[in-house]
Amino acid sequence: MMTLLLALSLLWPLGVAGVVIWQTSSTPSARREYFSVLWLSAAWPALLLAYGGEAQWTMDAWMLGGEWALNSLSRPWLAFTALLWSLAAFHARGYFAAEQAKAQDGDQDAERRLLRLALLWPLTLLGNVLLIIAQDIASFYLGFALMTFAAYALVVHSGTEEARLGAKAYLILAVVGEGLILGGFLWAAGEANTLTLQGVRESILVAEHGAWMAALLCLGFGVKAGVIGLHVWLPLAHPVAPAPASAVLSGAMIKAGLLGWISVLPLGHEQVSEPLARFGNYMLIAGLAAAFGAALYGVFQRHPKAVLAYSSISQMGMMTALVAMGLVAPEVWPLLWPGLVLFAAHHALAKGSLFMGTSISEHLPRWPLPLVWALLALPGISLAGAIGAGLISKWSVKSPLYEMHHESLITLLSWAAVGTAALVSVALWRQWQQRHQGGSNREQWGAWLVAIAAALLTPLWLPLPAGSIEIPPLKEWLGIMWPFPVGVMFAMVGWLLTQPLKGKSLPAGDLWWLYAGIVGAVLVPLRWVGHCCIQIKATSVATAQKTEAMLMGHLTRLLSTESWLRHHTSGLMMILAVLLAALLMWEGQR
Amino acid sequence: MNAAWLPLTALATSLLAAVTIFALPEDARRLRTTVNLVAAVFKIVLVALMVRRVAAGHEDIFSFQVIGGVDFVLRTDALGVMFAGLSSLLWLCTTVYAIGYLENSANRKRFFGFFSLCVASTLGIALADNLFTFLIFYEMLTLSTYPLVVHRGTEKALNAGRIYLRYTLSAGVVLLLGAVLLYSLTGDQSFSSEEGLGDYLNDHRGLLTLIFALLVGGLAVKAAMVPLHGWLPRAMVAPAPVSALLHAVAVVKAGAFGILRVVYDLFGVELSVELGVITVLAVAASFTIIYGSLRAIAQEELKPRLAFSTISQVSYVILGIGLFGPFGTVGALAHLLHQGLMKVTLFFCAGNYAEELGIHRIDEMDGAGKRMPLTSIAFTIGAFGMIGLPPVAGFITKWYLGVGAIQAEMYWVVGVLVASSTLNAMYFLPIVHRLWFRLGPSHGKGGWPEEQRLGRLETHGWLLWPMVFTAMASLGAGLFAGLPFSPLDWAARVANGEYLP
Repeated sequence: MMTLLLALSLLWPLGVAGVVIWQTSSTPSARREYFSVLWLSAAWPALLLAYGGEAQWTMDAWMLGGEWALNSLSRPWLAFTALLWSLAAFHARGYFAAEQAKAQDGDQDAERRLLRLALLWPLTLLGNVLLIIAQDIASFYLGFALMTFAAYALVVHSGTEEARLGAKAYLILAVVGEGLILGGFLWAAGEANTLTLQGVRESILVAEHGAWMAALLCLGFGVKAGVIGLHVWLPLAHPVAPAPASAVLSGAMIKAGLLGWISVLPLGHEQVSEPLARFGNYMLIAGLAAAFGAALYGVFQRHPKAVLAYSSISQMGMMTALVAMGLVAPEVWPLLWPGLVLFAAHHALAKGSLFMGTSISEHLPRWPLPLVWALLALPGISLAGAIGAGLISKWSVKSPLYEMHHESLITLLSWAAVGTAALVSVALWRQWQQRHQGGSNREQWGAWLVAIAAALLTPLWLPLPAGSIEIPPLKEWLGIMWPFPVGVMFAMVGWLLTQPLKGKSLPAGDLWWLYAGIVGAVLVPLRWVGHCCIQIKATSVATAQKTEAMLMGHLTRLLSTESWLRHHTSGLMMILAVLLAALLMWEGQR
Repeated sequence: MNAAWLPLTALATSLLAAVTIFALPEDARRLRTTVNLVAAVFKIVLVALMVRRVAAGHEDIFSFQVIGGVDFVLRTDALGVMFAGLSSLLWLCTTVYAIGYLENSANRKRFFGFFSLCVASTLGIALADNLFTFLIFYEMLTLSTYPLVVHRGTEKALNAGRIYLRYTLSAGVVLLLGAVLLYSLTGDQSFSSEEGLGDYLNDHRGLLTLIFALLVGGLAVKAAMVPLHGWLPRAMVAPAPVSALLHAVAVVKAGAFGILRVVYDLFGVELSVELGVITVLAVAASFTIIYGSLRAIAQEELKPRLAFSTISQVSYVILGIGLFGPFGTVGALAHLLHQGLMKVTLFFCAGNYAEELGIHRIDEMDGAGKRMPLTSIAFTIGAFGMIGLPPVAGFITKWYLGVGAIQAEMYWVVGVLVASSTLNAMYFLPIVHRLWFRLGPSHGKGGWPEEQRLGRLETHGWLLWPMVFTAMASLGAGLFAGLPFSPLDWAARVANGEYLP
């Protein structure tokens, strides 16, 4: 039964993609529906699979040897991923309704865009599902690569200048990331001669250069997870992607980077070597830097989705710091990881609904505005930890840290939550400024509302190990909730202070522009060197040809002496005979 | 039981096909096609038979003495059968493709005659059991490919052919010199002999190194290692099936295969390591890989870009040899097959674009995915395979090479592999992007350079199906690498033979 579900959850999205292709030839474009019920169902078998219980599969014929499993980690991960994909698909059906109508009216461009999206959406989902259940390196890498490259179509969808820039940044960093991951995997797997992720963890733990392997893999996955320095694609790609695509991008796909870290790092292992622990410290610092830096930069963004992208970077920074604790303080990891999964799941749904919310505020339904904004704010408030699942997830990562006496980290995380609250308030404010009336339909707000509910109630449906999550005691509530009002206040004060700078904001993608400048500057001398090489080559070819011609000329002239020789044969023979005779005589005299 | 007829018949099939085709009149199109296809299928059957017999542990030998001390020997061993399998399978695909490609063009008799001769030489190279036999077929290959390269007869083609001959014939002389030196030192040396040249190490160290340098230097020209690669991009003027043949099946592969033979069967891995030539090989291969990729980025036309990609990719095989260890060997051998499948697919695609739409330059490819979806999907698969992304076969080899490099403690090789992947992505992804994401003539923007409607589907069926088959094979070789008789499985079998006595 489980095997059937597994096969179904992998083959179903593939089949959906196949049906999309088949549809293009069978249905005339005027009646073509891109987001049929079948299309919506792409993620459902995976969702069922997550609730089917734990299981394990081995397939020798598959690539380098397939090993897939649903365990206590991959089950909740698959659950929230598949749920978000399903909801985002529903939202997409509403979101693209207008574009579909245009396509049915004969707009070729819209038709092309929708076909591309409808085809590559299930494939991206397939990659995401595969990488979650994969326990061997090849399958994991396959899922990761498939998801990464197929998602290009999701980002570039609208095809505008900005979308192309965002997609370009996404792709360039993805290629860099794939390279780093490949290098890290090869190194770690080659040292230990292993093909599984379990083997990679052990290899990193015992190998001499374990910390370097870990660094390669962490940076590689860090491109997805938006680790500081490699995060620049997020604020460029998110604002331009369609809202449902942003939702899965920020909710599900960047979590794949996090899952990558958890899969390859020997977290919570007692004998973590000293360099590895030091690497954990660097990671911790990088995570906290991202958490604060992104908040500080993000509040100055104009586009609400750019603000939300920076919020994602900030949130992922917190999760980075928590993962790093598995290396720095291994004893805390067994208690910490369920909290981290809950944190990730809650962030996935909350950020998903926030991104879907941007499409609601652009196409406001005929509801009272305060109600809409209250609903828009709900997942944000929860994200800051003041209500619902956010409150519980904050507690579930804080209580193990309390127990193990890492108070300073708790304080830092609380202040990072202040940043989250400020970012969310700015995002809502920007949404208010850029609101538009009308146009939102049932699927669009339906999926959004369900996502909000799912985000607020995450601990209730997430299949975590029993007893690993508890509601914080009442006296702790204040300690968890205070960042929210403080953050809102900061945002307001900041807004008042920056009033004189009206109309100015920082460019999205911060360091991207620096990188682009550096690469451009490096290319100038490289071009010059290349130009020189071409000239050198041309000169040497010319010289070689000249030498060849000269040699051939000599040779021809030498050959032409033949006729001279023929002409004087008799005389020459005489001379030769005389010489020989003389030689013989001289020889005889001795 | 020794089935001496088996290697001989396999060789005779293509030779006979060549003779028959030369004897047929130019306009006997149908008969020629039949002869071609029957011979190709028959040869696949024979090679399949060889594979079964080798898997069961039989080695069939055919030999006769030419003059004292020099024998002509054909032998079916695991390595040879692997190459023979590749060449006969891809011969069928390429023949089908060529029949469609050369429809209604002149001089088809000459083309198919030399085409068969070329494949016969490749089979001879695969099954040759000593250097003498190998050399005969190697030179035969050189001569039989020349008419194919200059097939179009234009000024440019003749020029390319001249350069091709200059490179390969001088390499042949160098190779011959090495072979003669070796024969004068050791007498007849079978590829299958167990003892190798180890006995001569103490007294003739310098001479052995010289012989190795001569042999590998001669072979490296066909394997297109930098700086001996100049002929390959120029030979791109040849028709697409010939390019496919040159790059994936015959010429370039023959060079790489020859180096495999020299290192593994003639000198033996231990001796090569002892002489210190293995590392040189790895460094030269790495340099070629990076250089080829860099040059590929600079190309503006499709076929030259693919040519430089070949230069880079074939050196993966050499790099695998240079890693000295079972994983490197498996990677090298598997890449011989994988690269063949993927590159032949890419060249078929390039040929289809050129035939159907008249596309030669990369910037003309915008939006071609809509007009020719199957071709573009095949191209995408091939390109992803070249980058080394799973599940295409290229990933499997890259994995084995990387693991082999780590186990040989040559960490820099991993850097080369990663850099090469990134560079491959830099020159293949823009093409894939153009195919699928840019607007072009099929979206009503501009026009194709020279559009023809060759078939009911996106192009002529004879051009389409071989390409679909090889694309599926490249995908399948990666996705189901664990199955018995997959390229990886067979490569592992050969490598086991080399490393476990």
